[in-house]
Amino acid sequence: MSPLREALVLPLLFLSVALLGGLRVGADVRLLPPPASALVLAVLTIGALARSRALVLERFLHHTRSPLENVSGAVAIATLLAASAQAFSIVTPDTGLLHVIVSVFFVVQLLTTLAGVRDRMAMLRSITVLLGCAFVLRFVALESLYAPGRSVMKRVMTALLEGVTLGAIEYQPAGAATGYVAFVALAMFVAGLVLLDWPDPEPVRSSGFRLKPEATTELPVATTELPVATTELPVATTELPKATTELIEQSSRVWHPAEPD
Amino acid sequence: MRATWVRLSGLAATLLYASFIAWLYASQPQTVAEVTGGLTATIGAYRIDEQAFADGLSFFQKDQFEEARAAFQRADPAQRDPRTQFYIAYSFYRQGWGRVYHDDVLYRQGLEAVDRAIALAPNQRLVVDDPALGLHTGDELRAELQRGLTRDASDLNPLRVFRRRL
Repeated sequence: MSPLREALVLPLLFLSVALLGGLRVGADVRLLPPPASALVLAVLTIGALARSRALVLERFLHHTRSPLENVSGAVAIATLLAASAQAFSIVTPDTGLLHVIVSVFFVVQLLTTLAGVRDRMAMLRSITVLLGCAFVLRFVALESLYAPGRSVMKRVMTALLEGVTLGAIEYQPAGAATGYVAFVALAMFVAGLVLLDWPDPEPVRSSGFRLKPEATTELPVATTELPVATTELPVATTELPKATTELIEQSSRVWHPAEPD
Repeated sequence: MRATWVRLSGLAATLLYASFIAWLYASQPQTVAEVTGGLTATIGAYRIDEQAFADGLSFFQKDQFEEARAAFQRADPAQRDPRTQFYIAYSFYRQGWGRVYHDDVLYRQGLEAVDRAIALAPNQRLVVDDPALGLHTGDELRAELQRGLTRDASDLNPLRVFRRRL
């Protein structure tokens, strides 16, 4: 990973998510810190990312890296933790029973993902779908149902819902602008996750030119000549002294199948 | 060598940005003016609009409190100047004061403003040397506003009508 991406791009991207994830633009502007449940979800997310190799921890923290590199990597991971917490915080209702239900749903879903998903792309898809569904649930369904000035039908539906749950389900609309902020924050978060293990571009030669793609097409031609060369090898080995061949055999690990009983 | 510099500048930028975000969460600004005013006040570069403050003072002395508050808020849009906030609180006090009863809504707004002023003052000690005022410190104004909001037996004292506004 390039130092620019690790030390500058990723931390600034994730810090922006941490900032936008707490923003609620309603009648007044509020910045909400992540609740404790969001911190648990963030830790689970990092565990799942590391397990699926979407986040390769050795590339950020390793004993072969210099102290400065390790500090830089630790800061990047800390910002990822903050961004994860706020990404889950913004798609979870802020209070009430819905907050508990959605948080529990996230914990179960992340634990399932942690146990089952091993592939980087599958993990990224899983997290994107999870956050996308939660976004739709909160900012399309719930906001529409509980928006101020809603229709009579919606008011009847919410009254019935509250009646059935004995008033346990209540929801405070976050405001339409919060939905747009949340969308931007989630898009930035997913982009940051993709960038965590995005392959670096092809190295540029000292002359400033990249390798032409046509160069790779010549490889099959070269490999076809290999069998011709290998046919001459036994001839060469027969000429080696016996002591040398014994030494080579001892130093090399040659597997001999056991004799059948 | 270039990678080291990139990492160092990245760390510095990250720390600055994280500090800014922490400050935003702690101060909860409501407007862009409050954000910029707060940042300039942090480095000691915040200045109020003296002309608007003078206008506000002039309105205040003529008991035109709403006009005075509008001018004071124009003078201190970020709400970072303790003296201006003190005058805003004082305008709420004088407007809400009555011989028979006080306006609780205005008194509460005055209490919020004087709390803000005290919090902004160095060592939370706020003194305004204005001979036209009856109360010269933030603590006195705060206590007067709180007394006005308290309900007790002294509210029934008929001699209240002889009290004078400070």
